[in-house]
This record gives sequence, structure tokens and C-alpha cells, in this order.
Amino acid sequence: MTAMSESATKTAQALTVEGLTVHYGGVCAVRDLSFAVPAGEAIGVIGANGAGKTSTLKAVMGLVPRKVGTLRYGDVDLSRVHARAMVRHRIGYVPEGRHVFAGLPVEKNLLLGAYVRKWNAETRATLAEVYEMFPVLGEMRGRLAGALSGGQQQMLAIGRALMARPRLLLLDEPSMGLSPKLVEEILAVLLRLRSEGLSLLLVEQNAKLTFEATSSCLVVENGEVAMRGTSAQLRHDPQVRRIYLGL
Amino acid sequence: MRYRIATLAIIAVAAWLLPYGLDSYAIHVVNVILIFAILAVGLGLCMGVGGQVNLAQVAFFGVGAYATAILTTRAGWGFWVSALLAIAATMAIGLLVGTPALRVQSHYLGIVTLGLALAFTNWVTNAQIAGGAEGISAIPVPTLPGVDLSSEYLYYYLELIVFALVLAFGLFIVRTALGRRMRAMRDDALAAGALGAEVPVLRMTAFLLASVYGGVAGVLYAGLIRYVAPESFSIANMFLLLAMVIIGGRQSLIGCVVGAVGLYLVREWLVDHPTVAQLAYGTVVVLVVVFAPTGLAGLPKRLRAALGRGRAGSAARLQPFRPYETRAEPAGQGAPILEADRISMHFRGLKALDEVSLSVTAGEIRGIVGPNGSGKTTLFNVISGLYRPTRGRVRFRGRDATGLAPYRLARAGMSRTFQNLRLFGDLTVEENVLVALDRSATWHSWHYLLRPVHVLRRDRDLHRRARESLDRYGLTEFAALPPKSLPYGIQRRVEIARAMAAGPALLLLDEPAAGLNGEEVRQLSEIVRSIRDSGVTVIVIEHNMGLVMSLCERITVLAGGRVIAEGEPAEVATTPAVIEAYLGDSMEVTG
Amino acid sequence: MQVFFQTIIGGISLGAVYALVALGFSLVYRTMGLVNFAHGNVVTVGAYLASTFYLTTKLPFALAMLVAIAVTAAIGLVIERVLRPLENRDFDLMLIGTIGFGIVLDALVIMIWGATGRAVPSPVPAAPIELFGLRIRTYDLVVLAIAAVATVLLVLFLSRTKRGAAMQAVAMDHEAATAVGIHVGRSNAIAFMIGAGLAALAGGLVGPLLYVNPALGGALGIKGFAAAILGGFGSIPGAIVGGLAIGVLDSFAAGHFQGYSELVTFLVFTVIIMIRPTGVFGERTVNRA
Repeated sequence: MTAMSESATKTAQALTVEGLTVHYGGVCAVRDLSFAVPAGEAIGVIGANGAGKTSTLKAVMGLVPRKVGTLRYGDVDLSRVHARAMVRHRIGYVPEGRHVFAGLPVEKNLLLGAYVRKWNAETRATLAEVYEMFPVLGEMRGRLAGALSGGQQQMLAIGRALMARPRLLLLDEPSMGLSPKLVEEILAVLLRLRSEGLSLLLVEQNAKLTFEATSSCLVVENGEVAMRGTSAQLRHDPQVRRIYLGL
Repeated sequence: MRYRIATLAIIAVAAWLLPYGLDSYAIHVVNVILIFAILAVGLGLCMGVGGQVNLAQVAFFGVGAYATAILTTRAGWGFWVSALLAIAATMAIGLLVGTPALRVQSHYLGIVTLGLALAFTNWVTNAQIAGGAEGISAIPVPTLPGVDLSSEYLYYYLELIVFALVLAFGLFIVRTALGRRMRAMRDDALAAGALGAEVPVLRMTAFLLASVYGGVAGVLYAGLIRYVAPESFSIANMFLLLAMVIIGGRQSLIGCVVGAVGLYLVREWLVDHPTVAQLAYGTVVVLVVVFAPTGLAGLPKRLRAALGRGRAGSAARLQPFRPYETRAEPAGQGAPILEADRISMHFRGLKALDEVSLSVTAGEIRGIVGPNGSGKTTLFNVISGLYRPTRGRVRFRGRDATGLAPYRLARAGMSRTFQNLRLFGDLTVEENVLVALDRSATWHSWHYLLRPVHVLRRDRDLHRRARESLDRYGLTEFAALPPKSLPYGIQRRVEIARAMAAGPALLLLDEPAAGLNGEEVRQLSEIVRSIRDSGVTVIVIEHNMGLVMSLCERITVLAGGRVIAEGEPAEVATTPAVIEAYLGDSMEVTG
Repeated sequence: MQVFFQTIIGGISLGAVYALVALGFSLVYRTMGLVNFAHGNVVTVGAYLASTFYLTTKLPFALAMLVAIAVTAAIGLVIERVLRPLENRDFDLMLIGTIGFGIVLDALVIMIWGATGRAVPSPVPAAPIELFGLRIRTYDLVVLAIAAVATVLLVLFLSRTKRGAAMQAVAMDHEAATAVGIHVGRSNAIAFMIGAGLAALAGGLVGPLLYVNPALGGALGIKGFAAAILGGFGSIPGAIVGGLAIGVLDSFAAGHFQGYSELVTFLVFTVIIMIRPTGVFGERTVNRA
């Protein structure tokens, strides 16, 4: 994983989002949201289903129509960058696990992650690194992605994003549909990515996973920030515990 | 209303006086236009209202015309007897052509119906009885005592009356229960089925209607031209008909008529340059689908929306929910209303559910919780009949209900909402509720023909009950609005009102609190409690643990497609497996 | 038995053409999830273009075909560009939009080349080959060979090239495809171009087999579509198997039912679709509530 981590730490930059708003039809999904992902940090966004978490992530990527005041990555203005060009700015997007290319083999899925790069020896090296990180994908490389289990598909979605050697990874509910044991594995993966210097923006409904994987969090409700703080603070906040943990 | 009657009267008088201003060629054109208008209305009913892609409309037209020709010339029967038999024959063919709709939809249905239309032209071009490529000529003039129908002027009045009748009948259907159900099916067949609409019967009804209109048009055509030949029923004419419906606006019957009249007139105007005409209407079809998908009929609404933006809808306010009356002794209390026995559901190697068993007692509020993707919605889909389980049985109200069609379960007293809201977007809020209220069987639709007053009276009664229901849920001011324009929280409430309008014994709520704010969640729990107190059993899938804990008497916890715990809220919350899977063990330690 | 095999051989060469048409349908469906109802009309355009360059401009047959393919590919680009606003939105509207394009192309063909047809002489010697007592036309072998080569190239393109993989990815999940940097619009445009090119190939090849007339593509289009569905929509091997099956079915129907062959073909097709809507190689899709 050395090559991947090296490039990440050297050039880590901060993502700044200010005044992000998303409308679907007449419905406001995200309202005037602001946050930042400092270089090398992991930031979590938690909230109930329908609170606007996924919309936030897609809006940052530019996958849904949005209005945004400031969207900056380092000193690059991203507010006019098309979703397909984000990857060239080394921002990777990990959609929720079902969104692998189901009818293509595992290896093709991974290679497509490196679509904007030349498919050469360097890509092969990255592929080997991903297989090293997720041995199960190596075993399944010839299988159709749609035939993988939920956990394997999630690994594949992360692996696919890593193929582009991102420095910032946007993750949409990586714990979705996974058993507790698999969630632990995902957590280990996230911690490893952090230790290698990637910045993470993690959207989750699993508060436990999020608090352990990130340094600070936003709690969103109805498309607005209801609370923000360090993950350690929020984890002990009585209101968070009541609403999101049911205690 | 008065304005409408006046407009109608003016149109009627104008239509009646029209022949006086036309020469004999013009009246012929008008007569053909009326026939195309009838065809277009039939296609609009099937495709626009019912959502069934039907590229065989021209074949229905052909069957009607050919059957009339064959019966009058070959069998020597009278015109009107032949006409009735011809319409019956077309209906039979319509049912036949519609059968594939039970299995396939959209483009598949398009190609199958187109293929069957080609098969029809192929048959008439070859069959001796149909006269081969020359067709059949010398069809006798239809007789009517005292009226000489060989005069195209007088034939016009016959057509006009028939046209007015079938158009009125079409509008009658669209604006009452049957049409609402068809539109609901077009919008979302899955949700319509879950509300008790018999989707297969409705699809056949759509084709049956298309064929009746085709048959009537065919009969009129045979009587008017008195000659039939294969090229009148070619695919080119099918596409012309399709263009009429698309350009006019497929979801509006009046639009279909306007499209038919307009396009035929343009074609007539360019009669010396048929290819130019074809080029023109092909281009218009492309432009319409890209820029004005609702056709000409949709333009006024779009204009109004463009001009009067920001005014509409803002005044409507949500009123408080008015609780149901409490039933002292809910029926069948204590007996299980729903039993799931070791259900497994596999999708291509993915085990979504693994031997899930569940028993819900009548009168309880049951919570089903679990992490995202733990199989909760899959379980609902199995229970409500959307999926047939790989293994295991479901019993509902004491009867085996495994793999029953959703509409059968709905009619047996099961109702549900959907995680991602499946309101019918092209219907108003009130119509959404009306679809659920309507419990009549679709095959009773013959009432439309023989007991129209009964249909109207029933519809009025449905409207009254819909207003009551909307009033109870505080939604009265939103009745006439399209649901997709409303805030999320109100849409959620509309969906619950709709599910309750079906009069269920068991209500399944799939994440009813998703996207709601604190106050809305509080109102929701009040509503759910009242629903239970009225004698309805409720099962809630929910993430919001606070809501589940306070609302439910019993909770079933799923993780990874298995039941990992079941019991009272306090009990479940302390089960180690649940803490591990859902709440997180570290929380327990620090808490 | 002799007759039986002769009938099969008769069906296979036309079946190869159906297969090419089906390939076009399937490719566009596989890469952008769209059914192109104008495909048959593009076949007609291709047939006229190829025959015009071959007969009037006196280009060699192969060159005439290449020019025809290039021109129709450009037409494919135009269709895709106009309908792009509907992509990934309304399936039925796009379907109707392509029908509209079909009507336009149909009119253009008649305007340019007239309503009457033309016969195209076979570009290879007409004498049939005798093999085990069966007569095989040389041109049929040419058609089969070209269809086989086109299929192999297409399969290689989809399975071995980056662009091919990307195009399939777009149909499977256009958002995820966008996120990895694929230009969805461009991918769709290329799909449409290749689809139209395949249509021209089929049209050009069928010229010497059938009479080139404005209704040619309509008939080929619907048979090709039926073939694609029969094989399993979107499946490449399915398109080949479906095409050959429809060709043979056609050939038998023509032998046994003479004029009614079309009727029989479509009735059989309807029954098959009702029994197995996903076709021979089709995948079952899960519908989610």
C-alpha cells in the first residue's frame, strides 16, 4: 500500500463546503449545509434515513443538481466541476454497496475504477494493492460483481474507488446491509485508509461505526445540521444517544 | 359549470351545422377524421390512461372493418348484425393481443403487439376470404329507416352521434373509478397492486377498451368507404395514429381527438406531398417527446405553471389529525393475525432472509428493527406478496397466503406503505385516497355500460368518504394538489391515509418516520396508536429507535436476514446480541 | 431430410442478417438501456446508401458498405444527441421518440430514393456450391462470414477494451460510472453510432439477398427485434442465436405456410415471449419495492 499512501500524505488538502442546498421537485433535501474535511482527517455525517445524508454526498460529487456557495478542494474551485471530473482531482466516491457494475466481472469493476488513468503496469500495481487489502476480491476476480455477497460488493465498491488513487474518499453508508462482523471489517479498512493519510467523508446511519472511524461528526436532521462536535463528544451526548442509539 | 355547458352547446351546434358549409369532398374528409378520432381515443385509453403500449390498434380497426365486410358480403348478413358481431370479434382479438401484457410490459409489449398487427395484415393479404391484396369491395350501404346513409352528409350525423357517445363514455371512464385505477396502475403498478387494484384484469380491460373503439371505428369505416383493403391497416397508419395520440397528449382523451383532427388535416393539406407530411409529423413527434411530453393537451397547464409560479399551493396548511373512535374489543384479539413460518428469500446467491419466523397477534403494534439491509423491507415484500419466498410459508388471518398476488392480499385486508413513498404522482392527493377506497371488483366494469347511474352514485359515495378520510388526517386543503409537490412529511401522511382508506385489518408501515422532524414523529406515533385503537393491527419497520421503543408492545430485531431477538422493548434493548448488532457494545460500556 | 437441411440453410443466411440487426438493438440496450425503434429504418437507409454507392458511384462493394456505415453512424449520433435529455429519465417517452425518428427516416428515404425499390446484383459469383447434396449460395457464405467477424469484433470490443467495459458500466449504473470518470453522454453516443453502423452493415448485406425498398428495414427491424428478445435482450450471444432461430423459423414457415409465414412467425414469437419473457440468455432482474 506504500505507493498509495505516499501520494496521499504528501498532497493532502482540505475540502471546504459552504451553503450547500439540494432540491428535488418541491422538496428540500439539504438546506444551507456547511462543513469542512481537513487534510488527512475523517469526518462523519450521521442522521436518520431520509435526513439528507446521501443527498449531501451526491451534491458534493455533483451527481444531483445543487446550489452551493463555496466548494473548494485545496485551492481548486470544485463548484463548476462536473461529477465525472472529480476523480481527476483525486476525489473518490464510494456509493452504497449495491452500486457495483453487477454484470461485469470483479476485476473489470476494479479496472474501471482506474478509468481516467492509463491501464498499464502502474494500474496493475494498484490492482495488486487492492487485492492485498481485500484478499476476497482477488479470489473472486473472475466472478460477476452481481453474484458477490453484500459485504463483498461493499469491499468492491471501496476497492473500485481506490483504483483511481484518491486523496479524499466520499463513502455512502458502507455498513448498509452488513452483519456486525462485516461492519467491524469495514471499520478496520476505514482506519487503515486513514492511517495511510486519506481524508474521509463518511455518511452513515450506523453511529457506532462512524464515531469510531472519524474524528468529528455532523448530525443532520431534515437536511440541516442539528449538532456538530468531535466524535468523542457526540458519542456521550445524551440527545444523540437517545435518538440515534435508542438508549 | 355554466361556462362548460355553454361551450358544449356551442360545439354541439357547430358540429350539427358543419355539413352545411362543406362540399362533398370535405365532408368525406370529415367523416374519415371522425373515424381516426375514435381510434385515437381508444389508443389513448389503452396507452395514455392504462399505460399499456399498444401498437396493434390499427389491427383492431382492421378486424372491425374486415369482419363487417366478410359478414355482409360473404355471409350475406345485414349490416347492423354484422356490425355487432364484428365488434364482438374485435373484442375477442383484443383480449388475445392483450394477453402478453400479463407477462411483459413496455418495449416488449410494443414489439409483441406490433408483431401481431403485422400478422394481421399478413393474414388479410393472403386469405381468400379476406379478398387478398385486392380486398373486399361492394359492402352494402348500412340501412336506417328513413335515412339514406349512402349520402355522406347523412352518414356524418351517424358518425357524429357515435363519436359523441364513445367520447363521452371514454371520459366517463377516465373520470370515475375504473379510469382512476388504470391511471394508478400506469403510474405505479406495484403500489396499485398493493392497494387492491387487480393489475392483470386492468391490463386486459385496457386492451378490451382499445379493441372496442377499434371495432366501432372499423365498422364505421366499412360502412363509409364500403371497401376494405390491407393497406388501410398498415404499420404506417399505426404510426400515424400513434403520432396523433402523442402530439395531442396521450393522457387526455380530448387531446387525442385534437391530435387526430389536427394531424389528419395537415396530412390532407399536404395530400400531394405525403412524404413531406410524414417528415413533418415525425419531426413533431420527436420535438413533442423532448420538449412537451404531455402533448398539446398538457400545454395550457404548463403555461399556467410557468406564468403563475409561486402562487399555487402555498396557502394550504396541514390540519391536526382527528383520532379514530376506539373500539372497545378489537376483533379477534389474542389470535395471531399474521404468521411467518421459517421464511427464506434468496436473490442470486444473496441470502436476504434466512429462516425468519414471526407471529403477530391481532391488535398489537409490532416493531421490526435492524440495521439497514438486514432484510426488513424484504420481509415486508414477502408478507405483502411482492416476492414469493424461496422457502417457508406465510399465513394471514388463518389462511395460507404464501405467494398470493399483492392485490389478493390487499383485498383480504392487508395494506402497506413504502419506504421510498410510492404515491401516484399523476393523481391528486384525493385521487390517491380514492384508489384505495375503491374496493369494487374490476370485472364489474360492465356496470359502466349497463348501469351508469349506479357507477356515478357509487363514485359520489367514494368522494364523500375520501373527503372524510382527508379531513381526519388534516389533509383537506391538499386534496386537489399533486402529491409530489408537497413537503416530505405531508407526503408520508398522505401515504398512511391512503393505506388506511383501503380499510385494512393489518397495516404494514415501512419506515414511516424517515425524513420526519421531531414534531412530525410525535404526530406519527399519535396516528399509529389511534389506528391500532380502531382495531387495526400495525407492523412498523423503523430506524428511529426512540419511536419504536415508545410505540411498540413487541419488537422483533433482524440482523443479516435472521431474527436475533424478540420481546418487549426494554427486554430487547438489553439483549447482548442486539446491543452487539445494533446499538454497539462500546456504547453499553461507556453508558 | 434433404429438404429439411436445405430449409435450415435457407434460413441461416437471412438469420445472420437478423442477427446483425439484433446485435444493434442489443448493443444499444446493453450500453444505454434503450430500445431504438428507429433501428429498422436505419437499416433501410444503410441498404439504400450501400446500394447507391455500389450501383451508381460504382464503388467496390466492400468500400460502398464502409461509406454507408460511416454515414449511418453519423445519423445515429444525431438521434442520440436529440434524445439525450430523456436519457435515464423516461423510458417510454424515449421509445416513442425513436419511433418518431423512424417516421422521419422513412420519409427521407422515400424523398431521396423514391417509393420504388431496386435489385442489387450479388457481388460474388452467383453459382451455388454443392455440399453433401445441399446447394449453398456463395453470397450466403459471405454474409455468414461477415456476421461472424462482426460478432467477434463486437465481443472483443466489449470484453477487452476499456471503452467497451465503460459503455456496459454506464447501462448498469450511470451514477457510479460518472463517479469513476466516464462521460455518460459520449459513451451513449458511441453506442448509438455502433448500433447504427451495424444496421447499415445488415442493410448493405441484405441488399443482394432481398429487393431494396422503403419497407425493407421495417420488416428486418421487427424480425431483428424479435430475435433480440428471443435470445434475451442485451445479450450478444442471445442476439446471434435469436437471429438464426428467427431466420430458420421464417424459412420453415415460408416452406410450410407459404404466404402466411409472417403470421406464423409472429404467433410463435408471441407464445415464446409469454412462456419465457427473458429470452434464452436473458437475466432475471429483481424488482425492488
